[in-house]
Amino acid sequence: MTDQTGADHGKTTHFGFRDVEEGQKAGLVHEVFTSVASKYDIMNDVMSLGIHRLWKDAMMDWLAPRAGQRLLDVAGGTGDVSFRFLERAPQSQAVVLDMTESMLVAGRKRADAEKLSERLSWVTGDAMKLPFPDNQFDVYTISFGIRNVTRIPDALREAYRVLRPGGRLMVLEFSQLPNPMMQKAYDLYSFNVIPPMGQMIAGDRDSYQYLVESIRKFPDQDTFATMIRDAGFEQVKYRNLSLGIAALHSGWKI
Amino acid sequence: MTDDTQSSARSDAPRRNAPAFDRKMLEALVCPHSHAVLSFDAERQELVSKAAHLAYPIRDGIPIMLIDEARRLDD
Repeated sequence: MTDQTGADHGKTTHFGFRDVEEGQKAGLVHEVFTSVASKYDIMNDVMSLGIHRLWKDAMMDWLAPRAGQRLLDVAGGTGDVSFRFLERAPQSQAVVLDMTESMLVAGRKRADAEKLSERLSWVTGDAMKLPFPDNQFDVYTISFGIRNVTRIPDALREAYRVLRPGGRLMVLEFSQLPNPMMQKAYDLYSFNVIPPMGQMIAGDRDSYQYLVESIRKFPDQDTFATMIRDAGFEQVKYRNLSLGIAALHSGWKI
Repeated sequence: MTDDTQSSARSDAPRRNAPAFDRKMLEALVCPHSHAVLSFDAERQELVSKAAHLAYPIRDGIPIMLIDEARRLDD
């Protein structure tokens, strides 16, 4: 699994800082999330000092969920985004889709999931090949998931396809700090602190090493906004969160 | 930071019955490969795409809509 073969075998993609063949990435990402699933929530808290909760709240503030809307929450793993959405919008419904079954199983066990179970569904699936007909959802969210997708343009095209006209895409993802000094400080923190912390809390250094590398590899705010436009979305905008450590991107299917 | 907190994985909650597949979902789902409608095989707990000759398993009430995990129907 550590051989860096990809180079002369067809198309390659990033897996953290390694180049791997496209066909390998999903399996590698799957390994990471199967490995971290049971400790995922607590690790998110530790890694972001609890700030990921504020980011998800900021996502909801911008999204402004409305009564009766249907949400598709891709890479929704343990349900964080869906729970917030359903709590804010009466009679709304959410489908949580994740490639990793164990993330969904962990999410469904949470108390909020039981409370909201009437309005929640759980599906294992691939963001690049969604198991839904066209024009189905009012809102598509993906929170800390898009950077793990093998071919991001494919996932964005699928998002566009399953949204109904007037539907909205909202992406929460780690991003780049516009200030180089701060980016440097942040890199020091993420590369020196997070993998050892993953070892300490989840007994898994490699998975967290992947997580920080994949964050650094993800395109900056403007580049990603262009990718969203290329998928057909309009009125594409972004907002930085915590100085650009994360960013929210929004786009509409008109 | 002692290691014994790690043992909290014990499952002391009574084991619930495996949640059933939510029939409402059947209408919402299509085959990710062909986008064709699916039929529900309750006995095998599978969602069957006749068009694509694939049967997607349902485990623990959760449909697994991954082409790699589907059973190929031969006929």
